[in-house]
Amino acid sequence: MASLLQQHCHTHPALLRPIGPVTRAIPPLYARGVSRPSPSDRSPTIGLVLGLVITFSAVLAYSAYITWQVTGLRKLQTELVDRNRKDSLQLLRIQNDLNLLAVAMRDMVSSDEPYPLTAWSAQFQRIRTDLDDAMRLEAGFAAASRTPEQSAFLTSSVTQFWDAVDRVFALAHDGQEKEARKQIQNSLQERQAALSTAVARFLVQNTENEEQAGQRIVQIYDRVQRQVYFFLAATLLAILLNGLSLIRWNRRLFARLAEISERRSELAQKLISTQESTLRYISRELHDEFGQILTAIGSMLRRAGTHAPEGSSLRADLQEVLETVQSTLDKVRSLSQALHPVMLDEAGLESTLDWYIPTIERQTGITISYEKQGKPFLVDGAAGVHVYRILQEALNNVARHSGAKQVSVRLRFLAQTLELEVRDRGAGFAESPNRRGIGLVAMRERSELMGGQLVVTRPTDGDGGTLVHLTVPREKAESYAKEDHSVTSR
Amino acid sequence: MAGLASWSQLSRLQSFAAQSAANNALGFRFTDVTSQAGIHFQHNSGAFGGKFLPETLGSGCAFLDYDRDGWQDILLINGSDWPGHKKSRTTLRLYHNNGNGTFTDVTARAGLDVELYGMGVAVGDYNNDGYPDILVTCVGQNRLFRNTGKGTFVDVTNAAGLGKREGFSTSALWFDYDRDGLLDLFVCNYVKWSLEADIFCSLDGKHKSYCTPEAYRGATCWLFHNRGNGTFEDVTATSGIFDSSSKSLGVALLDENRDGWPDLLVANDTQPNKLYRNQHNGTFKDAAVEAGIAFSSEGKARAGMGVDVADFDNSGAPGVAITNFDNEMIGLYRLSGKSFEDIAPQSGVGIASRNSLGFGCSFLDIDLDGWLDFAVANGHIDETVRNIRGNVGYAQPPQLFLNGGKGTFREVAAEAGDGFDHPKVGRGLAYGDFDRDGDLDLLITTNNGPAYLYRNDQLAGNRSIRFHVVGTKSNRDAIGASVRIFGAGMEQSRLVKGGSSYLSQSELPVTFGVEKRDRIDRVVIDWPSGQTEEYKNLATGRAYDCTEAKGIVPRDRY
Repeated sequence: MASLLQQHCHTHPALLRPIGPVTRAIPPLYARGVSRPSPSDRSPTIGLVLGLVITFSAVLAYSAYITWQVTGLRKLQTELVDRNRKDSLQLLRIQNDLNLLAVAMRDMVSSDEPYPLTAWSAQFQRIRTDLDDAMRLEAGFAAASRTPEQSAFLTSSVTQFWDAVDRVFALAHDGQEKEARKQIQNSLQERQAALSTAVARFLVQNTENEEQAGQRIVQIYDRVQRQVYFFLAATLLAILLNGLSLIRWNRRLFARLAEISERRSELAQKLISTQESTLRYISRELHDEFGQILTAIGSMLRRAGTHAPEGSSLRADLQEVLETVQSTLDKVRSLSQALHPVMLDEAGLESTLDWYIPTIERQTGITISYEKQGKPFLVDGAAGVHVYRILQEALNNVARHSGAKQVSVRLRFLAQTLELEVRDRGAGFAESPNRRGIGLVAMRERSELMGGQLVVTRPTDGDGGTLVHLTVPREKAESYAKEDHSVTSR
Repeated sequence: MAGLASWSQLSRLQSFAAQSAANNALGFRFTDVTSQAGIHFQHNSGAFGGKFLPETLGSGCAFLDYDRDGWQDILLINGSDWPGHKKSRTTLRLYHNNGNGTFTDVTARAGLDVELYGMGVAVGDYNNDGYPDILVTCVGQNRLFRNTGKGTFVDVTNAAGLGKREGFSTSALWFDYDRDGLLDLFVCNYVKWSLEADIFCSLDGKHKSYCTPEAYRGATCWLFHNRGNGTFEDVTATSGIFDSSSKSLGVALLDENRDGWPDLLVANDTQPNKLYRNQHNGTFKDAAVEAGIAFSSEGKARAGMGVDVADFDNSGAPGVAITNFDNEMIGLYRLSGKSFEDIAPQSGVGIASRNSLGFGCSFLDIDLDGWLDFAVANGHIDETVRNIRGNVGYAQPPQLFLNGGKGTFREVAAEAGDGFDHPKVGRGLAYGDFDRDGDLDLLITTNNGPAYLYRNDQLAGNRSIRFHVVGTKSNRDAIGASVRIFGAGMEQSRLVKGGSSYLSQSELPVTFGVEKRDRIDRVVIDWPSGQTEEYKNLATGRAYDCTEAKGIVPRDRY
């Protein structure tokens, strides 16, 4: 029988004709405008890292710049402003001492104390100690801003003043009070005034220095402010560029993902249509060719049987062969029907299901309550195949995985949609990730091919199990064949 | 009505209970006994609108036992009306302690009803006759009143060689700087002011106001050496005291370097304070700058008013307090190494004194717990100060800082009782045990106002031990003697001293608080003559007479 079939296959012209989509060349994966990623834009990581590095660099550079400016500011503040202020304080101390000297000299000259001029020597000594200390400290602070000539003038003036003071007290000590007072008026007070003027000038100079330093500080602040804005802008730009490149890469990624998904869907649909046309072809061949051959053989055997004498062993043998042929024919027809119910093409979905459901009930031993609702409309052949296949897969899943003994199938012809529901109360299969076989994918693809929607849920009404719910828009169900999606047209 | 009465009674009881609880917490209570003691004094600054500088500063007060009856009498200094504006005759007042909580005004009987513009007072037995003599510092001529020993005083100013010397004198003190057994006299002068040299100062350009000291030239302090014959020699110039820039208001005796020679600390207003270190040869050297006490820690010359020196941390070293202007803290100094450290900010005294203008001040053990507390009389000089500084008043509460023993003080004036913390225009402040109950009572004078006598009563049962020290080789008042006591875990020291505070003088006997101890282990007295005496195992709760080289005699009470 096998060799006979083989031979027939080889000889039957139908087997030699191309079998539609199966033999069609599969288009390249990236054929539809999806270019292969070039090595440079294979991953956005490098770009992003670069952006990050730039941003970090900007922040680091900014921090470094600010630190540098602040250090400069601090230096200016401590070295110039603070130093200047300390110097001014010492100058004020000197000024105060000079004033004390002036007041003391005025008291000495006014002669309203009942004491000799020598009484003032301790007071002068105290002022001198303080003045020397102030001069020493002041010299340390003023080193930067003062010319050597100015410093020398101050030092020599003070020295000369104290020399003159010593001479005055020497005179007073010798009892020459009058002469001493004259010296105070003629020499000491003038020297004191000159010193006081010099110190006042230094104070003014310090104030000017302080003002200049203040201006410089303001300039630094202005510069820093400008640079802060610049760096802020640069950092923002870097962040912006980084963000833009991220968006660009994201979009590209999504586009590619969509294309891949489309390709995958296309492939799946092609797979389905190829499978469907192949099965249909085989089913037709089996039914038409082999069926006719086997029918012919059966007729020939029956005819031959009539020629054989009744009761002869030949007649009995022929009868046995005839039965075998008949059985083969039944099996071939059954296989053909299983591979592709011809009924679908000839009698439509509704009738096919009427035939299929009791058949599968018998085969699997599952009780199926089948219910039809609504006013039936003609379901296009290709759509009918998809619906039929989805039901077939769903029931197969029930039989194989759910362990349920009862399934309810409902086919609803609604005004806008065609709905198919398969509900079992078994273990359910939607939960396990390992169960995500090709079956469910194919069901989805088929539903999408019809522009429909397939939802597999686990109902929460307490009975558990699985509900497969297919919705196909009516116009798709009716006119699917008119579009270029037809499984049969391919 | 009855309900209202009982309600008011109840609230009075409640406030009394609260007061008692507070006082109990403090361990002492002040009672204002001024009126019941018979002290009816009103200070006359002479103010008539002329706004003369001296009007803002007076006057002082003193505790002294002028008749040696063992009871501390009270002397209150007074000003007078200015020439050309005479309205009444006012004099200083001497109140004799009757020993029963009352005083009798004996001014006239004592020959002290002299009209003068008095500022301060220094009490000391300069002639070693056993009776305290009185120097009254004045605007104009200072006066020296010798105690005749018969309850009267004689003005010996000219005879003593102190006459013909006009100034604006403030605080003064007696001390024996050359340790010759005779008390010498130190007098502070404020500024060169006289009616004729008065300067017109004004805040608004039209009306006269009181000048600040900056308007006037400073004036040197004076040092008079006691010749021992009832006369004095002006050694201001030769002793190194002379300083025409000083504007001195307070002076305190101390032994800063603990060399046994008396040094002086002078509080100057807007000028650096002076620490006159005794050079052992009749001269002094100002060491205030190197000792860190001339200026505030910011290097500013503050407005020093009153000053006191005492071993407030029981370290044996002198500690210093100087009262200053408002917005300037009190300076509270502790010896740290060789220089003073201002601990006012961290001690609790600084912050509490920022908004008050302090004058008289004294370290005294108010609660007899063995730690010297600190009392301050406050009051502004400008009646209109509140218009300028809202949180500072003309009249200000006195302050009482209780010593916590760890360099910290707590201000408790409000809890001391009987209106002690009522605002006053305080100036002078002195302490003395006028009721001989062993604790120290406070006398406060006010500018152009009354004097206040606050009796101190111990509530916690703390007791004291008091020493009346009498010099023989040393000056009879034993001024400059150091008295140290030692007891279970306790060591305290006092210097017998006049002066201190502001324009005032406290009693000369020294008082040690000993909490509830019955006895002290020993007392050590370092006499100005150089001798040291030690007495052991003394019962507390009484006073002792210690006479140099003659031993110690307990009194039967304080």
